[in-house]
Amino acid sequence: MASSTAAVPFWRAAGMTYITYSNICANLVRNCLKEPHKTEALTREKVHFSLSKWTDGKPQRPTLRSDTPED
Amino acid sequence: MAMAALRREGRRFAPLISPQPITAAVRSSLIQQEQAPLGVRSISTQIIRNRMKSVKNIQKITKAMKMVAASKLRAIQTRAENSRGLWQPFTALLGDTPSVDVKKNVIVTISSDKGLCGGINSTSVKTSKALFKLTSGPDKETKYVLVGEKAKAQLVRDSRKHIDISITGLQKNPLNYTQVSVLADDILKNVEYDALRVVFNKFRSVISFIPTTATVLSPEIVEREAESGGRLGDLDSYEIEGGETKSEILQNLTEYQFSCVLFNAVLENACSEQGARMSAMDSSSRNAGEVLDRLTLTYNRTRQASITTELIEIISGAAALEG
Repeated sequence: MASSTAAVPFWRAAGMTYITYSNICANLVRNCLKEPHKTEALTREKVHFSLSKWTDGKPQRPTLRSDTPED
Repeated sequence: MAMAALRREGRRFAPLISPQPITAAVRSSLIQQEQAPLGVRSISTQIIRNRMKSVKNIQKITKAMKMVAASKLRAIQTRAENSRGLWQPFTALLGDTPSVDVKKNVIVTISSDKGLCGGINSTSVKTSKALFKLTSGPDKETKYVLVGEKAKAQLVRDSRKHIDISITGLQKNPLNYTQVSVLADDILKNVEYDALRVVFNKFRSVISFIPTTATVLSPEIVEREAESGGRLGDLDSYEIEGGETKSEILQNLTEYQFSCVLFNAVLENACSEQGARMSAMDSSSRNAGEVLDRLTLTYNRTRQASITTELIEIISGAAALEG
């Protein structure tokens, strides 16, 4: 990466992308809300999908990214 | 002799064995008269009645699906339209360069998880395939990233070698930015790219969707393009605040741009999906209505004919007795 020569931001040094960093920041802001807006904002942002990588034209075992436990 | 008796038995039981709904079994004694295969002249109406019942049920289902799609569409349409404000500043700043020529292309095809929504999935798959042909060449590499079950099902047949990642189950919860950004993050971490091309159906109205590609360039390519001038050449006129270098800013921008573009693409595609499902279900319930009309006509005509025949038989029988 070309930016490695300059002062790297602390979060990129920790292996995060800008998206992860901004998400953590956004979550902090959401936690600063007052009730009932806080629970509303937090329950709205649910992550759920399953991702599978392919090698040689075959799907590998999908990994599930989910906030809600599987029922 | 025994064989003949058996055959007769078999014939009598044939209507019982034949696959018919439960109602048929309940009224089997009635059917046997109606469907009596030998020596009885009246025409069976049972099959047509069953057919009419099933068509009616299908029509009910498609009507209900249309209603569901319509209410989902309304909820998602405003969100999709609002999310357009996310990528517009990026296009204003970096421009949209679909014709850029780079080595490593990644085509992100957005499709739905569920079917019964007209041709929106095949249009995005077709666009992706065309894009694949355009971008592939000697010493170039093009990969697919597939969002949604349907694109996977269509592309697995002839392009399975080029699929890199597939993502499903995105629409279990209502779509939100956190979810899509985590997804964008996962994609960015797992692919090497010079240009990401997001293919999706842009929602214009309930009956019209435009297959669209949005291009996200990697920071290196942005710099290369900026040096060669053109639309991106203006980038140098911006002042950079703070201690970050231009390449760092570009790296952050690219990542954020991709997540925003992906968020909008997923929303637009979900919106188009509901619209397409609505119109598909509308036309199929209209079709079911037409089929039902035709069946009713046939049914009534057959019934009328059999009644007429019976009347004629009775009258002529009576006339023969009198005469």
